[in-house]
Parts: sequence; structure tokens; C-alpha cells
Amino acid sequence: MILHVEGLEAGYGKITALWGVDFDVARGEIVALLGANGAGKTTTLKAISGLVRPQAGAVLLEGEPLTGRSTMEIVARGLVHVPEGRKLFGEMTVRDNLLLGGFPPAARPHQAARLEQVFATFPRLRERERQLAGTLSGGEQQMVAIGRGLMAGPRVLMLDEPSLGLAPIMVEEMFRVIEEINRQGVTILLVEQNTEHALAIAHRGFVLESGRVVLAGTGAQLLADPKVREAYLGL
Amino acid sequence: MTRRLAPWVAGVVALAALPAIVPNSFYLHVAIMILMWTLLGSAWNLLGGFAGQVSFGHAALFGIGAYVTMILFLKAGLAPWWGIPLGGLAAALVSLPIGLVCFRLRGPYFSLATLAVAEIVKLVALNWETVTNGSVGFLITTFPPVRFFGLAVDWESKLPFYALAALLALGGLAATAWLQTSRLGAYLIAIRENEEAAEAVGIDTVRAKVLTFALSAFLAGLGGGFYAAYFRYVDPDAVLNINLSMEMVFIAMVGGLGTVAGPLVGAVFLTTVGESVRERFQVGHLIFYGLFMMLAIRYMPEGIWGRARRLLAALRARVLGHVAA
Repeated sequence: MILHVEGLEAGYGKITALWGVDFDVARGEIVALLGANGAGKTTTLKAISGLVRPQAGAVLLEGEPLTGRSTMEIVARGLVHVPEGRKLFGEMTVRDNLLLGGFPPAARPHQAARLEQVFATFPRLRERERQLAGTLSGGEQQMVAIGRGLMAGPRVLMLDEPSLGLAPIMVEEMFRVIEEINRQGVTILLVEQNTEHALAIAHRGFVLESGRVVLAGTGAQLLADPKVREAYLGL
Repeated sequence: MTRRLAPWVAGVVALAALPAIVPNSFYLHVAIMILMWTLLGSAWNLLGGFAGQVSFGHAALFGIGAYVTMILFLKAGLAPWWGIPLGGLAAALVSLPIGLVCFRLRGPYFSLATLAVAEIVKLVALNWETVTNGSVGFLITTFPPVRFFGLAVDWESKLPFYALAALLALGGLAATAWLQTSRLGAYLIAIRENEEAAEAVGIDTVRAKVLTFALSAFLAGLGGGFYAAYFRYVDPDAVLNINLSMEMVFIAMVGGLGTVAGPLVGAVFLTTVGESVRERFQVGHLIFYGLFMMLAIRYMPEGIWGRARRLLAALRARVLGHVAA
């Protein structure tokens, strides 16, 4: 298991959002984390990447504990979180946004090569290299956000709602690119509201409810599960 | 390269020529004030303009620089050209614990925390009488005689202070120009644009902010040390006044946040506006000063220099377009 999460508890102030989340991700997998609004998906990612301090539980990356480490150290160990809502540096160019993802000391020597790789994955971004990130379309901004994450050379990439607010055609494109990145050898933990699409590309999935994992299975199993179909696909 | 160096060369030449042109020492005093505020605006701008961390407490750093310079001179006989840099270092040192505490807070909470810290420093200065002389403060009566390239320095004239202020202002501008092209500068802009994203890409945001705060504090401390030597008088009301903090904010804002020349432009405008309305209206001159500031911020939110830079770029594009056609 490249990523192992056990009994993870986290929250904001006195409010607990996660009540002991357990799941794991194998090397090379795409794993989808599903659930309704407020189920704790985003908090789970934040607790793994250190943006929120876990209150209890363990997160292991290739057997090494991540809990208690700073986000910076966690990025250096190869786990990168692409936060929800893209969160670009709007007043900077696309190029500068991407370069900022490649500044951790371990990533610096590979900066030029990885920038080329990102441009190969997202040819659109090469055309927009000198444009201010804040002036891009939603889909292009999402590409920058993912590209910026790739610049650190992650072993595990955590994507929070990459399809949120995108035009249908961009949603298709986004899922295609996520599969492509995965084929290049990056393990992916995907949080999505777009359950159908997410399960279609995911090897396995976990469903969160009120801060706990309530259902697990392969992508196909979950897609066929009557509870999932009723609660998240509206079928 | 020449295009980047040209404004610096022009600036140095203008600064060297100015004392020969000004008709009397009042104008030289105004020039010294502009240069001092350029340094202070630059100091604040590093943290406020680039990193977006709005400090309302820079008076504390200024005051520490002023007190250290003064105390070293009066109690240890250390001349101000040693005292001023040591004052800057002291301010930078003090900024480290302040930064580590205040940077745990974000946005307006950070600003309020710095405001509180500045008040604490002022209260300490007022009450720690054995070191600071309390509310009485310190006064320099005479400077030690010194020679500079064989000439005796005349401390009663404004010229040596002008030269010192020019050097310090250039230092502040150079520090900003360096930051702008450095990796630290890129981190700071990332923090300003989106702190959570900056963290998510693995930037050590606390370290970047603390380092910048120390650099900013060093420059503010230099400004305070210069103030002490120039006005020869230091007390809590003069050098730990909240107005000083506000003035640094306004100069950077009116000039142009996050730009190299912004604090210089802001210092030129606010100092000349301040001095000329003071001359014309004995009573209530601050009303006009405030009015100018409100108009500037309302109609030029990117600052005078920020706006001018955009207009220049547009003009250049048009002229080049014509040449090409």
C-alpha cells in the first residue's frame, strides 16, 4: 500500500469532521473518495496533506508516518494535494504558477524537464504560458492547478473536485487527463461529486458519510451498488 | 541590463546634484524626509506589498532602531554610523519572536496582533526607565568630531544627514529590487495571492514570512536609527507612535504596493503634500493631507506608481505599434 489511512480524526476548532476514517491506496491505483457535501472528503485530503492537523489516527506513505509533519515536508516526500477551487496565484503568469510548484529543494533540479512534461500533458497551457492565470477559463485554470501539483514530481496526487464548475466537454477532458497522468505512474486519490465519472475511471472507491467510511469496493461494484445508485446517482 | 540599470544611475546622479540646486536648507530637510520615508515605505512594502501581510506595528521596529542607536551613542559612545546598523539588527532580532507569534494569525487578525505588539513595546519603553529614561527620553547635544576623506564632517549642516539618508533610501530600494527577482519574492507573491495554495505546493510559508519580516524590520530599524541621529531626540511618543506605523502603510499604498518605485513615489507625494499644506494652513492641515490620501486610494487603488507604470506600458505599446506600422 502506498498510502494507508487509519482511524483518522480531524476537525475545525471544536467541530469534529472526521470520526475515524480508514482506507488505503495501492501503488498505481486511482482511488475515488465519494460522499455528499459535508461528508468529510475535503477534510480527509487536508488532514492527509497536513493543511489540517489530524487529532488522532495515522497516515502512512509507503510505511512512513505523515501525521504531525508540515505540508512542506509531506510534499517533499512525494504526496501533493491539489486543493478544491483551483486556488491559483491569479496575478502570476501560467508559467510562474507552474514553476512555483517545482520549487521544493528535491524538485528544483527537475524543474525544466517537468515543465516540458506538464506542457506535453496540457498543450493548452503552452499556448497560454505568458497569460495571467486569473484570466484563464475554468478548465484551463484546473489544468494549471493539476500541472502545478505535478511539478513537485508526486508519487501520490490528491485531487479535490477537479471537475467542479467545468463545462461538460471539459469534464470529459479532465477525466481523460487524470487517467493519462495515472498511466504515467502517478497514484491518484480523487475526491469527486461527479460520482458516475469518478467511478468509471477509478480502480476502487470509498464512500464517506458523516466522517466515516461506510462503503468500499471496486469502481464497478460501487457503480452497481443500489445504495450508491440511489444516494449519489439519483437512479 | 542597461535598461534596468539606467533608472538607478539617473537616481544616483540626481541625488548627488540635488544639494547644489536647492535654494535653502528647508528644501534639503524635505529631501531628507522624503528619503527617510522612502526607506520606511520600502521596509513596510516588503512585507505588506509583496507578501500581503499588513503590519500596523512597524513603529515598534522603527522605535527599537532609534532607541538602540541613541543608547549606544549616549551610554557606550558608539557613533551613529555604527549605531544605525546595530539598531537595524536589533529590530530584526526582535522581529523574529514577534513574527513567530503574529504569523500564527492571518489577515486582519495578523494586523491587529502587530498593532498590539507595537503598543506593548511602547509601554515597555515608557516604564523601563533604567534603560529608556521613560517618558523623558534621550537628547543628543553634540556629535563627536569625525573626518571624512580628510574633511571635518559638519554635523550642524544637513549635508551629512542628506548623504546618509540617500544611502539608506537606495539600500531600501535595492533590497526591494533584489526581492522582486528572488525565489523568496516569488514565494511571497504566492502567499499574497493564495496562502493555502502556497502551502499546498510545499512552500514553507511561515519561514518565508518570518525571513521577510526580519528584512523589513532591519530596514525599519535603520530608519529609526537615522531618525534618532537626525532629530537628536528620542522618546516613546516620537519614535513609537502609531502614526509612524500608519504613515508607512500609506506611503506604500499611495505609491504602489509590491513595486520597487512605489514607496519612493509615495514618499515624494505624501511628504510634499504634507509639508506644503502645513505651510499654508496652520490649523487643520491634516484634513487636506487625509483628503489627498483618500482621493489617491479611491481613484488609484494600485497606487500612483502602479497606475503610471500601466499608462507607460500602454503608451509604449502604442508608440511601438506606430513604428512597426
